[in-house]
Amino acid sequence: MERQIINKKKRVFSLEPNKNPSAVFTRKYTSHLVPALKKLNMNKNSSKQTVKHEVDMALALSAQEFAWSRFLLQKLSSSSNPTTTTSSSSDGIRILERPDKEGGNEEGGIEERLRELKKLLPGGEEMNVEEMLSEIGNYIKCLELQTIALKSIVQDST
Amino acid sequence: MVFVINIVSSSTLTFTLFLSHSLSLQAICFLKKKKKKITMNEGAIGGDLLLNYTDMSVLERQRAHLKYLNPSFDSPLAGFFADSSMINGGEMDGYLATAGLNLPMIYGETTVEGDPRMSIPLETTLGTGNFRKRKFDTVTKDCNEKKKKMNREEVTEGEEEEKSKITELNNGSPKSIKKMKNKAKKEENNCSNDSSKVTKELEKTDYIHVRARRGQATDSHSIAERVRREKISERMKFLQDLVPGCDKFTGKAGMLDEIINYVQSLQRQIEFLSMKLAVVNPRPDFDMDDIFAKEVVSTPMTVVPSPEMVHSGYSHEMVNSGYSNEMVNSGYVHFNPMQQVDTSSDPLSCFNNNGQAPSMWDSDVQNLYGSLGV
Repeated sequence: MERQIINKKKRVFSLEPNKNPSAVFTRKYTSHLVPALKKLNMNKNSSKQTVKHEVDMALALSAQEFAWSRFLLQKLSSSSNPTTTTSSSSDGIRILERPDKEGGNEEGGIEERLRELKKLLPGGEEMNVEEMLSEIGNYIKCLELQTIALKSIVQDST
Repeated sequence: MVFVINIVSSSTLTFTLFLSHSLSLQAICFLKKKKKKITMNEGAIGGDLLLNYTDMSVLERQRAHLKYLNPSFDSPLAGFFADSSMINGGEMDGYLATAGLNLPMIYGETTVEGDPRMSIPLETTLGTGNFRKRKFDTVTKDCNEKKKKMNREEVTEGEEEEKSKITELNNGSPKSIKKMKNKAKKEENNCSNDSSKVTKELEKTDYIHVRARRGQATDSHSIAERVRREKISERMKFLQDLVPGCDKFTGKAGMLDEIINYVQSLQRQIEFLSMKLAVVNPRPDFDMDDIFAKEVVSTPMTVVPSPEMVHSGYSHEMVNSGYSNEMVNSGYVHFNPMQQVDTSSDPLSCFNNNGQAPSMWDSDVQNLYGSLGV
């Protein structure tokens, strides 16, 4: 307790909590996710898919400035067992095992990779390349923040 | 009277804000208002544009013009209609001199540092085939506004313009300087051509005036293609910064592969974490604000650079030298830092085929925090 008090005394808060977008996102994310998880736990029927659903939902709700979040929300609301982010695993393995990245067939290869990337992004297939690239950027950022948030939730609870 | 424009530093812009704006900008097409030609007699003009031409492409310059014209980015509409009389009203003497213009932050990252200036050489007033192109792009329209203003200065071609002085480059590689000169020439040519056409065009059009560079096709399609390619490479550059480990790839293909792998691994990680979460009850008093509160303690006991910065309740010093000011540091967590590192790496290592991956991602997350400090 004492240590906690000491720590609390010396805690430093940011003066502008809403300026940092990653903090804002993470805060929103956890504020969506944690209550949803609590509700799930109370219902006692939490399967893995449901948790995943909530996780994705929290992601989509916390990042509503971006186009991909709209697509993600659509996907989530349309299906009860979404497999938005799990479908790409097999594709990923294929890419990881590709022997060499050849510069020779770069032109065709690039197209193919762009298509792959589009598949990864929710709603990416309906965008053109430039849009998709911008959206991928912030999607990556949000995914990273999401992993951080999830990690801290998990560790906090174990 | 020096007409100084203070451009609000765009470092306060969040990337989300900019993104939404950039999307809306693309949707705005009606903002073209050709200015009336005003003959100006400026003395020492600053056609100095505060643009860092190091990495710039046509697109970036145009966006920078947009920024220039529109100091308060919150009201893009207002800025676009900046009245010509207002802008040219005073003296153009050294207008635009000092504000440090940050290039538009595409994703919250500034691409320009310092106070770079460039004065456009106006000595070449050749009217070689100005190329017009209908394009749905407000940014470039504002570029034209800008160029028209420069045209008026061109009338009194002072001493300041004949030197294509490009100062304060961030990386003054010869290639980029050449590129800049080409662009300078290009822009200047645009100016000169615009001046003759300004009077004729008072109505709103969607044209952008693009001049082909030396040795390049002047075809409308190829110019559009070029702009598009520039946009794409710009985005790829940003992605390269975002995705760790991308800098060793110089080709698009390799980078794309890397990006794909990264996204997939992030998604797998999330999936795994959510599976773990299904097993675990979140604490009722879990508070993210605590997580983001930085904890500074005087007596360092253990220094553990854990990626998510979840430190124990013990006194320790936070390793945050390269990190952003808002770090994850929960007062509620009572882990022993060493133990926590073990637990964080174990599940990931059993999940991933490659045992090396967890540490790699941990360092990646550290990089993330480094980049969050923008």
